[in-house]
Amino acid sequence: MSNSMNDTTRTATAPVPNNPNPIAKQDAMIEIDDVSFSYDHGQTNVLRNISFDIPAGKVTALIGPSGCGKSTLLRCLNRMNDLVDTSKVTNGQIRIMGQDINASDVDPIELRKQVGMVFQKYNPFPKSIYDNVAYGLRIQGIKNKPKLDEAVERSLRRAALWGEVKDRLGSSALGLSGGQQQRLCIARTIAVSPRIVLMDEPCSALDPIATARIEELIAELREEFTIVIVTHNMQQATRVSDRTAFFYIGELIEYDSTAKIFSNPSVKQTEEYITGRFG
Amino acid sequence: MATHFKRKGKRLLGVGRQDAIRYFFGGNAMVSILVLGAICGFLLREAVLFFPQHQRDLEVFRLTGQEYANFAITEMDEYTEVKSLANQAFYQEMNEAYGIQRGLVDSFGALSGNIYDAGEDLIEELEDARDEVEDAEAEGEKTLAQAELDAIQAKWDIFLRAELEKADRKTIDSFGRLGEAEWQQLLKAMVEWDPVEDEPPALVAAAKAESDEGMATFDTARTTIAAAGSELARLRGELIKVTTAIKDEAVADKSAASRKKAYLDGSLVAETEEERVELRRKSDEITVREEFPYAERIKVLEGSREKHKTAVEAMKVDLKAGVAALPTEFSSPEVTELVSRIRDKAPVLTVYLGESLMESADWRYDEPLSWVYSVSSFFFGKDWVTNSSFHDFYGLLPLFTGSLLISVIALLVAIPFSLGAAIYVNRLAGPAEQTFIKPVIELIGAIPSVVLGFFGIIVLGEALREVSQVPWLSWVPGFPMQERLNILNAGLLLALMAVPTIFTLCEDAINNVPASFSEASLALGGSKFQTVMKVVVPTAISGILAAILLGFGRVIGETMVVLLVAGNQIAIPDFSLGAGVITQPAHTMTGIIAQEMGEVTKDTIHYRALFSVGLVLFTISLLINISARRIIRRFGFSA
Repeated sequence: MSNSMNDTTRTATAPVPNNPNPIAKQDAMIEIDDVSFSYDHGQTNVLRNISFDIPAGKVTALIGPSGCGKSTLLRCLNRMNDLVDTSKVTNGQIRIMGQDINASDVDPIELRKQVGMVFQKYNPFPKSIYDNVAYGLRIQGIKNKPKLDEAVERSLRRAALWGEVKDRLGSSALGLSGGQQQRLCIARTIAVSPRIVLMDEPCSALDPIATARIEELIAELREEFTIVIVTHNMQQATRVSDRTAFFYIGELIEYDSTAKIFSNPSVKQTEEYITGRFG
Repeated sequence: MATHFKRKGKRLLGVGRQDAIRYFFGGNAMVSILVLGAICGFLLREAVLFFPQHQRDLEVFRLTGQEYANFAITEMDEYTEVKSLANQAFYQEMNEAYGIQRGLVDSFGALSGNIYDAGEDLIEELEDARDEVEDAEAEGEKTLAQAELDAIQAKWDIFLRAELEKADRKTIDSFGRLGEAEWQQLLKAMVEWDPVEDEPPALVAAAKAESDEGMATFDTARTTIAAAGSELARLRGELIKVTTAIKDEAVADKSAASRKKAYLDGSLVAETEEERVELRRKSDEITVREEFPYAERIKVLEGSREKHKTAVEAMKVDLKAGVAALPTEFSSPEVTELVSRIRDKAPVLTVYLGESLMESADWRYDEPLSWVYSVSSFFFGKDWVTNSSFHDFYGLLPLFTGSLLISVIALLVAIPFSLGAAIYVNRLAGPAEQTFIKPVIELIGAIPSVVLGFFGIIVLGEALREVSQVPWLSWVPGFPMQERLNILNAGLLLALMAVPTIFTLCEDAINNVPASFSEASLALGGSKFQTVMKVVVPTAISGILAAILLGFGRVIGETMVVLLVAGNQIAIPDFSLGAGVITQPAHTMTGIIAQEMGEVTKDTIHYRALFSVGLVLFTISLLINISARRIIRRFGFSA
């Protein structure tokens, strides 16, 4: 962390074709540096030499056709890929706040408290609404009831769900609608006050109205959190994100401001993808 | 007539090939259902027929006055428990407080007995020789006889010394109460022992006096308690005798007509005149009565009520005096514990005696017997006694308690193991461990239960007993164990049998918890353990409950292991021992059927009683299975 903070004099990464407009190093929350990743002990890499920096306090969208590795990259950021025994970062470093997250002394549990995640399919626990939001705090050992109450209310308010559920906090979360369940999952994630929120296609299982509400929510949350969102939906990327990275078969094709990517991409493949010629 | 799409193949009686196949498979299913139905029907019929038969049996029990005798029997049984506690406490205290003294007395007894047996002829000779010396004195021929006596006496002395030399301390003093010094003292004193007079040496006499004196108070109390029951015991014997005689007569009377006819028929076809007359005479001897004159026979009990009252009142008084006279200081906590149990039990017994006396005073031989009583005396009867010369009792309670205790212990042991193993295998173990552990645990189910029972008798029983005798474990309730075959042993083995069932079903239940739940928990910074305990297990809880229930069904129906290992004592275990109750032997519902069904006569009350036990067992299993299904259906989540 101190590394990046002190290094304000360092100039931006030298412009390359796929990253013509890099962010300033001091703005980077997540630095992805020449990362390759494999699910099978390094025999085949599903991500190859990815390098780009994700800015703090902004929304960064990862787009690309199915199987391009965008979700894999997202799951590298909170080390959820550890659950697959044979998976491995075969090359490069991922630094969050300057710290290499794959270093041997990093505890993935501590990392995940800082890097929350919202999944594609909303997955509240089969518990009450209250217990869902309080879960992350409780497993950190917080038992103080007023403190929990306060955190639950704040998180639900931030997730724009408080008004709808405040009278039935004790009822099962599974009784909510799909969109409400996903917002509950977002509330659950932000309740532990992470620095970064990863979203893996958070709207793919929702109808357009619920999607719109989630997108509004993302716009509100960007001030407080660094958000990385994987999406299939190009309109969504333009609506919610500040910067966009386009992946294709395990490689980063282009990374730039969202406006630039969608109006005037530098790489031909990007243009073909966003105009719908393939993907 | 179709020409293009005509059905191919032959048809037999209008049934084609596809139909035949269909009927074959349908038939198989149908046969299973029919067989199950037939079994249920048979079981139900035999079991239900028990109740009218039981009712008649109890009616005879009442009419013959045996029911009255039973008051005295149960009173005596209750009292005997207190009495044996008092004896147990007395002997334990004596052995602890006066170990050396009692060691000397008992060792002297054993030693002198051995020597007496070995030198019987010599002792006789010695006795004769002494008599002769006495006689000779009278006739003035003393010297000769005296010389002979001296020779025999010398021979005896040599014999005695040789015997004492041979004596082995460990065999004689089998409890090891004597030290080497005391043993040598005893041997030294024994040299002077005279087999004809058979007086104990001064050392032993002193030891005996010392221990008798020290134990005098306790002994008086104990004897008072022991004597308290003598009057009632005599009355009990008398009541059993007269009422059983009435019953035998009544039973014989029932078959009078058929016996009379049998003799008569026999006399008609007799080959010799003599035989014919004899059979005819026997037939005439039998009088057939319309009804057995219970009212007349029961008159023998007329004086009994008064006697009973006196006996019980006397018992209460003596018992109270005896318990009050018990000493208060003891040399070991075990004795203190025993005596405090006597002190606790005595008032309970007194109250019971009073109630029983009142109840017996109200007893009438001709009081009608309600079917509720006969049914409840099966389900809640405390005794299961068969082939008794007095009366057979068919009470389910001891068997049910045994089955339940054993099953509960089995579950308490099996649940943590199975659930822990299931969690480990499904959530924590690597793939290699998974492929190893799962089949191994499931393989436990492949062990034949008779082999497990064998293991329980030979290995586990011995091991448990040895462990229970380790001195520093004596604080564990029920330790040291008296019996090698007991509830605990059977429970542990059944736990082993329940583990595969519970494990497999729990593992399934845990496996059904969607990965997205654990992912969500892990992504929130939960550890694997937190994820398992706070998300996976609570989500799978309905499946886990069902697994436990089915495990319960598995163990309560298990037969072979409990038959071999539970100790087969038909009695309600003594719950006054607290948790130590599990070190007692017990019998079970399954065990009793397996044990007794082979030797009962068809259609007798005993035979039907066993069917009723079977029906109870069947109902329990059925309920367990139904509830397990319900739980899964109602609380199982869909995700």
